[in-house]
Amino acid sequence: MNASSSRVDAQSGARLSSGLSMRQKQVLWAWSFLAVPVLFYAVVRFYPTLEAFWIATTNWNLLTKPSFIGLANFKRLMADPVFWQVFRNTALYLLLGTPISLLLAFTIAYHLDRVRFLHGFIRALYFLPFLTTAAAMAWVWRWFYQPVPIGLFNNLLAGLGIAQQPFLRSTTQSLPAVLAPAIWAGLGFQVVIFMAGLRAIPTTYYEAARIDGVSNGTILRRITLPLLKPTIVFLVVFSSIGFLRIFDQVYNMTSQTSSDPGGPLNATKPLVLMIYQTAFSSFDMGYAAAQTVVLFLVLLAVSLLQLRLLRDR
Amino acid sequence: MAAIELQGLVKRYGKTQVVHGIDLTIEDGEFVVFVGPSGCGKSTTLRMIAGLEEIDGGTISIGGRAVNRLEPKERNIAMVFQNYAIYPHMSVAENIGFGLYTAKLDKAEKRRRVEETGRILGLEALLERKPSALSGGQRQRVAIGRAMVRDPAAFLFDEPLSNLDAQLRAQMRLEIKRLHQRLGRTIVFVTHDQVEAMTLADRIVVMRDGRILQVGAPMELYEKPADVFTARFIGSPTMNILPARATTAAGATTLALGEQPLALPTAMGTVPADLLVGVRPQQLRVLANGEASDLVLSGKAAVIEPLGSETFVHVEHGGGLILASAPAKAPPAVGEIVRLGAPASALTLFDAASERAL
Repeated sequence: MNASSSRVDAQSGARLSSGLSMRQKQVLWAWSFLAVPVLFYAVVRFYPTLEAFWIATTNWNLLTKPSFIGLANFKRLMADPVFWQVFRNTALYLLLGTPISLLLAFTIAYHLDRVRFLHGFIRALYFLPFLTTAAAMAWVWRWFYQPVPIGLFNNLLAGLGIAQQPFLRSTTQSLPAVLAPAIWAGLGFQVVIFMAGLRAIPTTYYEAARIDGVSNGTILRRITLPLLKPTIVFLVVFSSIGFLRIFDQVYNMTSQTSSDPGGPLNATKPLVLMIYQTAFSSFDMGYAAAQTVVLFLVLLAVSLLQLRLLRDR
Repeated sequence: MAAIELQGLVKRYGKTQVVHGIDLTIEDGEFVVFVGPSGCGKSTTLRMIAGLEEIDGGTISIGGRAVNRLEPKERNIAMVFQNYAIYPHMSVAENIGFGLYTAKLDKAEKRRRVEETGRILGLEALLERKPSALSGGQRQRVAIGRAMVRDPAAFLFDEPLSNLDAQLRAQMRLEIKRLHQRLGRTIVFVTHDQVEAMTLADRIVVMRDGRILQVGAPMELYEKPADVFTARFIGSPTMNILPARATTAAGATTLALGEQPLALPTAMGTVPADLLVGVRPQQLRVLANGEASDLVLSGKAAVIEPLGSETFVHVEHGGGLILASAPAKAPPAVGEIVRLGAPASALTLFDAASERAL
């Protein structure tokens, strides 16, 4: 009985698989492989994301049950001067960080591409910061910025007879001072990607241009940069997202024993840090979720805008 | 005046020498083809003429002026590359006009020249298109257009037809030849395809292992190859090379090859005992029953290849296959024993030791 039923099963199984067309079988296989990551992302990524949209409309503080308060969190955010300061900071990180880092990375890659001597070693040097823990780097840079006789930069300035700079203790200098190590850390990655892009341009393009007698500047402007556009689009979007989400450097370089990081006077505080503090210092989950939604929308808008601008032209 | 003169030209990559002291004079307006197997140094030589490779020895002069140390742009040459090297982000007109980028001409004149070039090459309707919307042959024409528009003293072509299919290659060959007749500029053309070399060249330069083996007009190379390599390389299908022994008795030299001894002309003087005899398949014919010839070989027909105008027959002989021709409409059957014959005048003799022609 048992044996015969299993034989029937095997027969029907054979009939089932032979009854499917080639195309149907391929689709079945594809979905069985896709199922695991799709499930994982649905549970671990998409569900919490949607949940965050919901929490943004509640006043949840971890202790009481969340109750729906409509758009009150967003209204509060619009009226919060700290939010606008943070918004401005985040925009500055993006607007300074992306162009400066890309310009530096391209300049280095462009010249490193022509160097044969110690090429691999120099490239490794540039890549090294990318491998290092952001927190450790931030603390080294923090030391650089200290006053004399401890800080490296102020010692150099003093040696040249230039006045001491407050760096991290100034409301105007602290943001660029925090941005510098963030740019430096991402540089190696960008240099490597730029070099890969440069290598992908056939050398005959340059040889043809040399025979035509075109100057190096023109070759760069008319040939190299246009052909490098896919690489540039990728790096602009990638690094913009990075600077919009800046956190580690700020958190580790501006934390004081007395006050929360992001200072002085919120001068360096980015959106992610504000979200972190609202959620895990003030336990104001609803308000933090609303800030997260804003960050999400900003990231989405900036990425889409850049993709459009850089692709169409 | 744009004669190109190479004297003792040497190129090394590290310790490996790839071009061994080449001497060659290319006359003004001449179409010279460098031909040879890959790695023979033909492309390297061309790139040294262009100024894309440093010269490690000897001199190159173009139009009587030594150019060893001149930048490519100062040599007044144009080059067409194997992969065309046309810029994908520029239109056809911009690509052609890029050759004029540094020229001191006003915009209207540049535009006129680009249009003129487009007209000559039949690209008028395509001037505003991007290269991605062009066929292989059209892209090749754009590359030629970019070279032409500057009106250079000489054109250098680096295997420009290798990326095209056979039919298009034949068509572009014709176009390049007509262009040469029309413009009358010096052309140096590199290829590994002996058909291109034969059909295009005023003179062919056969190269191997960084040395020139022979320089000559196509028919000269075909009829009087200097060595076994050139003999086999030039002409299609490849020449048959058969080992033979020569014996001298009473002042007359005879060749022991095939069914009957073959008397060599006394003018040849003394020849080495071990020879290689070359005979082209077109001249080694399948003999009719009872037909006589100077050289007669026989063997079993192994493979028949009809080509329409004639039929080639691979015949088993002396442990290998030799290629002979048969009338198109009356080929032998596979497995049939056939007799092959060639006149003495069709034979090329080589010294078996040095492989040089006698």
